[in-house]
Amino acid sequence: MRVIVVGAGEVGYHVADRVSQEQHDVVVIDLDADRLEYVQSHLDVAVIKGNGASPAVLRQAKIGETELLIAVSSVDEVNLVSCMGARGFPGLLKIARVSNPDFYKDESRLHPELFGVDVMVNPERELALETFRLLQSTAATDIAVFAGGSVQLVGLVIQEDAPIAGRKLADIGSEVGRSSMLTAAVKRDGKTVVPRGSMELRGGDHIYVVVRPDGVPKALELCGYKPVRLKHVMIAGGSLEAFYFAELLQQHSVECTLIVKEKRRAQELAEMLDQALILNGDATDVELLELEGVGGVDAFVALTDNDESNILAAQVAKDIGAKQVVTLVNQIEYVPLARRIGLDAAVSPRLSAANAILQYVRRGNVTRVATLKDTDAEAISFQVTANAPVVGKSIADVDFPEGSIVAAIVRDTEVIIPRGEDVFAAGDAAIVFALPEAVKKVSELFPE
Amino acid sequence: MNILEVLHVVGTLLVWIAVAMLPPTIMAVFEGLHLHWLGAVAATGTVGSVIWFLTPRRLSINPREGLAVVGLGWLAVVLFGSLPFLFTGVAPPIKALFESVSGFTTTGATIFPFVEDLPPSILLWRSITHWIGGMGIIVLGVAILPMVGVGGAQLFRAEVPGVSGDRLTPRIASTARLLWVVYALLTAAVGVAYVVLGMPVFDAINHAMSVLATGGFSTRSESMGAFSPVIQSVTIAAMILAGTNFTLTYRLLGGKWNAWFSDAEWRWFAGILGVASVSLFLYLGPANNEWSFDWFRAAVFSVTAVVTTTGFVTADFAAWPAFCQVVLLGLMFIGAMGGSTGGGFKVVRAVVVAKHTLSEIRKILHPRAVMVTKIGRRPVRPDVLLNILAFLALYVATHGIGTIILAALGYDLVTATSAALAAMSSIGPGLGEVGPGSNYADLGSAAHLTLSALMLLGRLEFYTLLVLFIPGTWSRWGGNR
Repeated sequence: MRVIVVGAGEVGYHVADRVSQEQHDVVVIDLDADRLEYVQSHLDVAVIKGNGASPAVLRQAKIGETELLIAVSSVDEVNLVSCMGARGFPGLLKIARVSNPDFYKDESRLHPELFGVDVMVNPERELALETFRLLQSTAATDIAVFAGGSVQLVGLVIQEDAPIAGRKLADIGSEVGRSSMLTAAVKRDGKTVVPRGSMELRGGDHIYVVVRPDGVPKALELCGYKPVRLKHVMIAGGSLEAFYFAELLQQHSVECTLIVKEKRRAQELAEMLDQALILNGDATDVELLELEGVGGVDAFVALTDNDESNILAAQVAKDIGAKQVVTLVNQIEYVPLARRIGLDAAVSPRLSAANAILQYVRRGNVTRVATLKDTDAEAISFQVTANAPVVGKSIADVDFPEGSIVAAIVRDTEVIIPRGEDVFAAGDAAIVFALPEAVKKVSELFPE
Repeated sequence: MNILEVLHVVGTLLVWIAVAMLPPTIMAVFEGLHLHWLGAVAATGTVGSVIWFLTPRRLSINPREGLAVVGLGWLAVVLFGSLPFLFTGVAPPIKALFESVSGFTTTGATIFPFVEDLPPSILLWRSITHWIGGMGIIVLGVAILPMVGVGGAQLFRAEVPGVSGDRLTPRIASTARLLWVVYALLTAAVGVAYVVLGMPVFDAINHAMSVLATGGFSTRSESMGAFSPVIQSVTIAAMILAGTNFTLTYRLLGGKWNAWFSDAEWRWFAGILGVASVSLFLYLGPANNEWSFDWFRAAVFSVTAVVTTTGFVTADFAAWPAFCQVVLLGLMFIGAMGGSTGGGFKVVRAVVVAKHTLSEIRKILHPRAVMVTKIGRRPVRPDVLLNILAFLALYVATHGIGTIILAALGYDLVTATSAALAAMSSIGPGLGEVGPGSNYADLGSAAHLTLSALMLLGRLEFYTLLVLFIPGTWSRWGGNR
C-alpha cells in the first residue's frame, strides 16, 4: 500500500515510522528541508520538499496511485486543504489532523465531508481521552480500546494481597464467568509471556486483561485495587491536551484546577473553560501546590510541554499526597521510567496520535489495533476470509503459536471475549494479541 | 470640538420635535387651544431652523462631538418639550420642565394631581414625549437623518443604555431604523390588544405608547388600577416586552424562537422578576390574611412595573409591609435589561458586578487564580468591567448626593431616598410622600429641579451629560482633564 504523510513533525514522523515498518511505501511531504533530511536518514521513506496543501506537490507524490493520505502537519488548515486537493481519487482514504477546539464547538463545527476528509483525528483530544480512561480505571497502567470501544485491553499490576495472587488462571476464569475477562499477557521480571491456563499469578505481575468497559471495576478488584471516585483533579500545564482534558472533566462534573505558567494562556483558558479554576503559576512550585491542596486531590496530571517539568511536578505531587499521578512524556524512552520512579502512568502524545491513525492503516486483511507502552506485544485485527484454515474450527483446535492469544472476536456488531470452545466463522474479525516473534506464524493462519 | 457643527444637529432635532407636536396641535383645535399649541410649535420650529440655517453642515462626527450632540440635544429637547405645558397654562415653568423631563426620560413622575382635568391634547403630548424618549431622540435622528454616517455609531452608543451595542445590520442607520420599526409595530400591537379588551381608543393609544417606552404616564389618576384585571395582565406582558433588549425581540420576531431564553441577561431578568414576585406574594398573603389571585397579580404587577422601570401602578405599594418596600427599593436600583427602553443600573451590569465580587472573594482562597467574569459564555473584557465598576460608583454617588439635597430640602429619609432612586432609574412612583398613592405636585421648585437633573443623568447614563460640564470638552485640543 502507498501512503502519503503530510507534515514531518512529531506526529508525522512517528506515523511514517510505524507505517513504513509495516512494509508500506511511504512518502513524507514537508516544507522544512532540514527536517526532511533527518527523516530520510532515520526512516526508510521517500521525502518531497513542498507544501502538502498544493495539488502539484501531491501529484508529484503520485496521489493517483496512493491509497491513504495522512495529513498531520501542525496546521489544521493545511491538513484540510491538502485533503480537499486530493478529492476525486476513488479508493483514497483521507485522514486529516484537526486540533483546534474551535472546529469542534457546536456553533462552529467543521463538516469534514466539505473538505473531502474521511476521518478527522485530534491527537491532543485522544491523549486527553486516554488519560481520562486511565484515571477512571484508577490503577491501570495503560488502556487500549478496540472494536469501537466495546472491548478494552487494560494493563494492571497485581497487588501482593490481591484475590487472584497465587492462583491459577484456569481457576480464576471459571470463577468470573464466561466471556467477561481474559488475561492476554503477563509481564514478569521484564519478560512478557502469553499465559496458559496452568500459569499461576503472583503479586507484582503486570498483566494485560481484555474486558468490556463495565468489567473494569471487577478486574481492578481482582488485582487488589479499591475503586476510586474522581472528584477533584489538578492539571499542570496550559497545553491543548490540558484544555481537552479539563473540558472532559467538566463534562463529567469532576472539579478541576489548572496550573498554567503563562499569564496570557491562563487568561485564554479561563475564558474557554467555564467551571475549571485556573491558577497562574509554576507547577513545580511546591509552595503553590501545597497551598492549593494537591495532597487532597484524587489525581494530579502533568500535561506541560516539557518532560522534565512534568516528571518533577508529578513526583512532587505524589510526594505531597496526590492519590494518583499521571504524566505526559514526549520521549518514548521515558515511559517505562515513569513507573519505576513511582508515578502511576505515563501518556505519550505520539503513541496516542499513532494509535488513533494506525487503525486505518490496513495491510491486506490486517489492521494493527494497538501497541502497548510497556511491552512490545501488540493487538492485531485479522479479517477472517472464507479460505482461512481456521474457519469452522474452535480456538482450542487451532494451533496458535506460543506467544499469541485471541483477545476478541468481532462478529457483525457483536464482540465476543472468547474461550477455547468458540468457533471462527468467515467474515469475523479476530483480534489477536501477539508477541513480535509470533506475529508471522499467526498471519499464516489468516491468509488474505 | 466644533460647537457649530454640534449645534447644527441640535437644530435638526428641534425641527423634528416641532413636527412631533403637530398631532396634539390638531387635537387642540377641538379644545380651542390650537393657538397656544401653534405658539409652541412655532417657537420650537423657528429656533430649530434658524440654528440649522446658520450653522455649517458636516457628514461625520467625532466621538467627543457625538457625546456633546446627545447631551446638548437632550437639554434642548426637554426645554422646548415643556413649552406646550407652559403655553396652554396647565403648569408654571419649573413644573412644566419637570413634566417634560419626566416624559422624555420615560420616568412617568407627574406634577398633575388629577390628570382627568387636563385637555386631551396635553395627555397625548405626555405620551408622545414618552414614546420618543423611550427608543431615543438621537436613535430616531440616526434612523431618519442622512446626516450621520461615520459618527452615527458614536451617537447611538451615547444614547442607548446598556453595555453592548449589538448591531443588527452592518450600517448603523439601518439598525436604528429596524429598532424603530420593531418598536412602532409592538406599540401598535399592544394598542390594538387594549382596544380589543375594552379600553377606550384614546386611553389605548396613550397607554400603548407609555408602556412600550417603560414610561408610566397614564390618562387616569388611578393609573392601570382604573382598568380590568385582563388589561392589567396584558400590561404585565407588555412591560416585560419593553424591558427586554429590543435586539433580542427583533431576532425573536425574525423566527429565532429561543432568542429571549438563550440570552443570559434575559434569564437573569426573568429570574429576578420571578423570585421577587413570588417572595412578595408569599409575604403579602399572610400579612393580609388572604390568599387571592388579586394579591398575586398585584405583586407581579408591582414587581414588573418597578423592574422594567415603567412605574404603572395597580396597588399602593408604599402602604405594603416594610419587607415588600425594601425589596421594591432594591429592584428600583437594578432596573431593566440593557438595550431596552427601561432605565436603572441594568441587569447585565448588576450580574457582572455580582459575579466579579464573588470571584474576588474566591481569590482570597486562591491568590494565584486567574478569573474571567462571564455573561453566559461570553467573557467580559477588563476595560468594560472597569467601566461598569466606575458606573456603579457614579450611580451610588449621584444617588447619595440627590438624597442629601432632598433631605436638606426637608423631606423624610424614605421619601428622599426613594424619590432620588425613582428619578434616576426612570421609574416614577417612589415610597413615602411620592408613593403610588400620591404624586410630585406638592414638591417645591428646588426638589423639582434636583429630580429633573437626576432623571436626565440616569437616562443618559451619566457620562453623556457629565461630559458637557468638563471644560476640556469645549476646548479645541481637548484639554488635559
